[in-house]
Amino acid sequence: MATAPEFLSRQTLAGIQTTEERLQVVPQEIDLFQLRALPFEDVYFRPKKMDNSKLVREADPHAGGACWKVIGAACLTLALLGGVLAPSVANTVAGYKLESLRVESQKLADERRALELQEAQLLSPERLDRLAQDQHLVTPSPSQVVHLDNTGESKVAMVRK
Amino acid sequence: MVERRLIWLAGIVLVWGGAIFAKLVALQVVHHQEYVQKARARQEEVVQLRAQRGAILDRTGHPLAMSVPTEAVSVDPRNVPSISLDSDLLARQLHLPPADLLQRIQAAHDERRGFYLIKKGLTPQEAEDVRNLKAEWIHVDDASERHYPNNGLAAHLLGGVDFEGKGNGGIEKALEPELHGAPGKADILTDVHRHGIFELVSTQARAGVTVTLTIDERLQFVAEREIAAAVKEHGAFSGSIVVMNPYNGEILALASYPTFDPNNPPENQKDIEARSNHAVSVPFEPGSCFKVITLSAALETTRLKPESMINCHGGVLTGLPGGRVIHDSHAGMGVVPMSDVLAHSSNVGAIEVGRTVGREKMYEYVKRFGFGDKTGIPLPGESKGRVRGLPKWGSTSLESVSMGQEVSVTTLQLARAVSVIANGGLLLQPRLVMKMGDQAPPMEPPVRAIKPETAITMRQMMEGVVLTGTGKTARLNGYTAGGKTGTAQIFDFASKHYTHTYNGSFMGFAPVTNPAVVAVVTLNGTHGNSGFGAEVAIPAWKAVVTEALRIFDVPKDLPDTPPTPTQIAQNQKDQNVNDLAIADLGSDRPNILEDTDDESVSATTVAFVGPRAPGTTPPAPPAAPVAGTVPNFKGKTLRAVLMEAAAKGLPIQPDGTGVARVQSPPPGAVLHQGERIRVQFAR
Repeated sequence: MATAPEFLSRQTLAGIQTTEERLQVVPQEIDLFQLRALPFEDVYFRPKKMDNSKLVREADPHAGGACWKVIGAACLTLALLGGVLAPSVANTVAGYKLESLRVESQKLADERRALELQEAQLLSPERLDRLAQDQHLVTPSPSQVVHLDNTGESKVAMVRK
Repeated sequence: MVERRLIWLAGIVLVWGGAIFAKLVALQVVHHQEYVQKARARQEEVVQLRAQRGAILDRTGHPLAMSVPTEAVSVDPRNVPSISLDSDLLARQLHLPPADLLQRIQAAHDERRGFYLIKKGLTPQEAEDVRNLKAEWIHVDDASERHYPNNGLAAHLLGGVDFEGKGNGGIEKALEPELHGAPGKADILTDVHRHGIFELVSTQARAGVTVTLTIDERLQFVAEREIAAAVKEHGAFSGSIVVMNPYNGEILALASYPTFDPNNPPENQKDIEARSNHAVSVPFEPGSCFKVITLSAALETTRLKPESMINCHGGVLTGLPGGRVIHDSHAGMGVVPMSDVLAHSSNVGAIEVGRTVGREKMYEYVKRFGFGDKTGIPLPGESKGRVRGLPKWGSTSLESVSMGQEVSVTTLQLARAVSVIANGGLLLQPRLVMKMGDQAPPMEPPVRAIKPETAITMRQMMEGVVLTGTGKTARLNGYTAGGKTGTAQIFDFASKHYTHTYNGSFMGFAPVTNPAVVAVVTLNGTHGNSGFGAEVAIPAWKAVVTEALRIFDVPKDLPDTPPTPTQIAQNQKDQNVNDLAIADLGSDRPNILEDTDDESVSATTVAFVGPRAPGTTPPAPPAAPVAGTVPNFKGKTLRAVLMEAAAKGLPIQPDGTGVARVQSPPPGAVLHQGERIRVQFAR
C-alpha cells in the first residue's frame, strides 16, 4: 500500500541522496574515451581507435572476372543498341541528304528551263531576221543555192592541221 | 519505428511509380493513335508536286510555247498589321511602286479578301528577301509562267493561257487536258526547323505532254511577214495564208493578220478582234478560185476536155431570170478551149461549163472537195463554211456556184481543195499536230475525191493560169507552178448590196509535176483595180512558196533563168488580171453569208463581177514569136514522142512512164517561143 511514509522510505531505499550525501563530494574516475553523454539517455559511447593498417584485403579471385563481365556486357549492350539505332540514324542522315539533293535537282531543272527560254528568245526568227538586216544579209534566191552533188567524183577539201 | 518509416517510404514510392506507370500506359497505349496523329501533323507536311505544263514545239523542235517555274508572292489583306508600313516594306523588297501597292492592298482589305496576288515571276533574290521577312500574312508559293519566246509567231495557232494557266484559245485550249498534266502529292517528314528528312510520294505528278506541231518556224515567220506587208500595202482589213503539204495534209504555215502577242493579255476590243483566226474561222465567197471545182466536176462527169471549145458568148450572157444580162470582165472572149476559160477566168465560160455539169453533180463535187464541212483541224472556232443543200438552190444557184458564189469557204478549205488537185485526187484531213509526246496522233484515211487523171489534167490547166493567164506574176524561178486567182466583191449585210471592196485570193502549188507545197493567200477588203487577187495575193504567195521550196530543199524542175526585164515588162503589160466573178445573178435566195446557223460567220466577202467601165477595152496581147503548132502525141510512147519533137524542133517536158495520156498545150494549139509542151505519160 502506497502511503506517504512508505513512498518516502522507498525513495530513501532507492538511493535518493540526502542533503548530506549530496554535499559529500565523491571523486569519480574520468574516462577519456567516453563521449559526452546524450541527454536523458543512459547509453554511453566510447570510441575505439582501431589500427587497420596491417590488414590486407584478401584477394577475391572472382572479382576481376565479374568486373570484366560487366564491362563486356555493357559494351555488348552498347553495340547492340548501336546496331539497332544505327540504321535509323543513317536513314535520317540519308533522308536529309536526299531532300537537299532533291531540292537542288529541282532548282537546277528550273534554271535549265529558264535558260532554254532565253535560248529560244535569242534564236527567234524575228530577232535573227533583224540581225540579218543589220548585217546586210539577204535570203538567197533559188538560183543562188547550189546543191553539191555527192558523187564519187567530188573531191574532199584538204583539212588543215 | 524505422521499419514503419521504411514501409511508408516504400508505399509512397510505389504509389508514385504506379502513377507514372499508369500515365505511361495512358499515353502509349490508350491514346497512342491520337498522339501519333498529332506528331505526324506537326512533323509531316503535305506538299503538292507541280506538274509542268507541256511545251509546244514546231516541227524542227524549236519551242513555240513553254512554261517556266517561278514564284509568286501573295498576302492575306485581312491580317496585314499595318497596311501603310507593310506595303511600303513589300514594295521595296519587290521593286514595285509603293503608292500603287498601298492602294491595291487597301482595296483588297476593304473588300475583305483573304487572298491577294502581289507579284508573279519573282527573281530568286526577291523571293529570298520576302521569305526572310518571316511574316505570317505573306505567302511565297511556287507558280508557273507560260512564255511564248517568239512573241507573236503562230499566235493564232498557239492561242494563249488565262491567269489560271488554262488555255483560252488555239492549241492551248484544244489540247488543254494533254498539256495541263496533273499535279502530284507527297508527304514530307520534317524536323523542328522544317527541313525535310524523308519524302513519300503518294501521287506521282504527271507532266503535260509536249506537243510538236507540223508548222515550220521559219516558214511561219515568212508567211506572217508577207501577209502583214500585203495587208498594209493594199489597205486591206485582214488577210490569211495557209501552206500545206498536199500528200499528208501537214500544215506548214498558217498565218492570219491582224495578229497579237500571246504574252500580253487583251486590253481592248481591238485586241480581242485580233485574236480571230481568219484562215479557219472566217468564211468568205471565194469567187473565181472556185472555177477549179467546176472544171474538175466537168472533167469527171461530162465529155468535156481541156481542149473542148466553150462558147463564152463574147463575154455577154443572157437568158437569166428577170431578163438580166451579164457582161463578163473579159470582154471579147468568144469560143475558147476550156483550159482558157480557167486561164483567163471567164465567168460566162464557167457558167456554161457548170450548166453542162448540172446541179446534182455540181453539188456532189462541191461536197467531194470538202466544202461545207469542217476539216477537223484541232483549233477552236473552226467554221465549216456554207454550202446550201440542193433543195435550197434557187434558179441561178448553179450559175452562181459555178463561179464561186452562193458558197462560203475558209482559206483552209481552199488549201485542202487545191491539195486534192496536187496529190492526185485524195481529200486529206489537214494536220496540225505532228506528235504528242512520242506518239503521232492517228490519221484519218484519205478519201478519193477525183480520179488521178482528172487531177493531173487540172494541174496542167492551172499551170496554164500561171503561164498564160491571170496568174503570170506567180511564175517561180527554177520551179513550175500552177494556181488560180480569185477576186470577189464583199457583201454588205447592212445595205444588202455588194460593195466595191474585194477579197483577193490566189491558190496554187509548186512544182507542177510533183507538187511539194500548196499555198493559199487571201486578202479581205482590197479596193479598186489594184485590189484583184493577182495584184494583192500573188506577191505574198510567191514569197512564201519560194521560201518553202528552199527550206524543204525541193529539187528544181526548171533551169534557173530569171526572166529578163523586158520579158517581165511584157508579162505585166499583156496580162489581164481582172478575174472578178459575177456576184448578183438575181437569185431569189438571200446571200449565202446571211445564213446564220454557222457560228463563226462574219461580215466578209462575196464575189461579184461588175461591168467594165465604159470606154475601156482590154489591151490586145502582143504578137509573140511562134515556134510551131503542137502535134498530137496522145497514145504514143515516150521514144516516139521525143523523136517526133526532136524532128520538129519542139521543146518537150515529159513526165511519167508509159504512153502519152495528156498534153498541154492541146494538139493544134500555137506554141510560142520559150514555151514547152508538157506530156504526161501513164501505163
